[in-house]
Amino acid sequence: MLDIEGFSVAYGGLRALSDVSLSVGEGQFVTIVGPNGAGKSTLFKAISGIVPPVSGSIRFQGRDLLAVPPARRAHLGIAHVPEGRQVFKTLTVRENIEMGAYTAAGRARFAQTLERIHELFPILHERAGQLAGTLSGGEQQMLAIARGLASAPRLLMLDEPSMGLAPAVADLIFERIAQIHREDGVTVLLVEQRVAEALELCDYGYVLETGRIVLEGPFRTLISDDRVRRAYLGLGE
Amino acid sequence: MEWEILLENVLNALAAGITIGCIYGLMCVGLSLIFGIMRVVNFAQGDLLMLGAYAAFYLVAAWGVLAFLGPEFGPFVGAVLAGPIVFASGWVLHRWIVSRVSGLRTAASLDEGHYGQLIVTLGIALILQNGGLILFGSMPRAVRTPLSSSAWMVETGIGDATIFLNKARVISGLVAILAVAALYWLLERTRLGKALRAAADNPTAATYMGIDVDRAHRVAFALGSGITAVAGGLVATYLSFTPFMGLDFVVIMYAGVVLGGMGSLLGAFWGGLTIGFVQQISALFLPPQLQNAAIFVVFLLIVTLRPQGLFGRSAERA
Repeated sequence: MLDIEGFSVAYGGLRALSDVSLSVGEGQFVTIVGPNGAGKSTLFKAISGIVPPVSGSIRFQGRDLLAVPPARRAHLGIAHVPEGRQVFKTLTVRENIEMGAYTAAGRARFAQTLERIHELFPILHERAGQLAGTLSGGEQQMLAIARGLASAPRLLMLDEPSMGLAPAVADLIFERIAQIHREDGVTVLLVEQRVAEALELCDYGYVLETGRIVLEGPFRTLISDDRVRRAYLGLGE
Repeated sequence: MEWEILLENVLNALAAGITIGCIYGLMCVGLSLIFGIMRVVNFAQGDLLMLGAYAAFYLVAAWGVLAFLGPEFGPFVGAVLAGPIVFASGWVLHRWIVSRVSGLRTAASLDEGHYGQLIVTLGIALILQNGGLILFGSMPRAVRTPLSSSAWMVETGIGDATIFLNKARVISGLVAILAVAALYWLLERTRLGKALRAAADNPTAATYMGIDVDRAHRVAFALGSGITAVAGGLVATYLSFTPFMGLDFVVIMYAGVVLGGMGSLLGAFWGGLTIGFVQQISALFLPPQLQNAAIFVVFLLIVTLRPQGLFGRSAERA
């Protein structure tokens, strides 16, 4: 579904990503883990067209994504739930979800997705008329995911959805993401720093360090790799 | 009866203040919309107002396209039609000039593009003023309507005190209120309006939603231009004007927008209304040359006491 090849991004001469290749298959749950500053968010921004690549290609369902203007990419079925939530603070919860459904697909299925969203996150139903800026961090994260879902996406990209959340809330968020993948058949690309939880969910994972993919493989392979166990899971020999 | 005359004067000044204030409010709303959505301070706003006045003038008086509507209502229809005409001008200005120094293109730069925007909008102002001088000439123009020299008289029941409501101004004020209400409805209730607000709130996230932020800015710039132009058309029904009229009004617009709180649409309307009010009341006891001084004294007072403006939030939004 999503194929990235030989992808490099630079900020003012500084390489943020070098020669990254990865692919996400239809219906898969793919996770990218790695430390701060590894270039995970940069990769997402490049997929959404906010930062331009130096070299490489991105294909989405066989289509050259780099030729599609940034604002058109959501309309192809890519939903980006950004790092730090980035909800529209001065809009109400309901309006945020409506903006998520800005795509034609989202609008056509709005009634259904709204019902589904309220089923997954009942609190958003309760807070429908409230300004998004007044929500708690966890609620804002739920709203950010709901907004992504509202576009009726084929690919849901989640950038550190657990960031800054209490463990219990983060667990709930992970649970809901798994549920969305399982029950709604949405392909998920997840970037996370909570490596254990993130790898547990995935079919296939990548480890990104200082802009390079240093390791990849299915969940079983990664979880039993010594480097991953030592560096990310805090497990010894 | 001395006090009766005073009362009558005050009541008439209040009435004039409200009607003129509504027109000022409308022009402020145009400026505020552009600032609120694009974060661009448009120094050419007064000259878009001037374009609106001339659009109404050519439609109604010079070419007489609207002559069939009669001298009573033609001028007001002309003022409303100035909106779409200047909307188109605003669209073109943004498409070819303003977009080059604003929007996502400059959002990441150190000064957020404000220096470029200052130079470019000032440049547009100069070109519109002097281009107007070439095209429209320096002769003061007006869109005459017999309604501007007739009034509805309202007996107050207190002695002989009577309020004279200038018909042209009352209708102008009503048109202004309707225009603001329509714009407010557009922004609050429609998909387009919500997308404009989303683009203003968080341009990057809006792009992730599939909203074309540059296009949203273009719509906002054009709408803000059109709204102010309607106010220009309304001003033309009671004031004669030249291509440099924008200079007088841009001051009023800035004061009104800052008063109401930068970026707040309804705040801008109330700010403009306040300015109109202060101007007319001050006419009671100050010579005309000092009316603008009175505006700024009140302006400074309010800004000193409430730096966020009358209706602004105390914290700048993120």
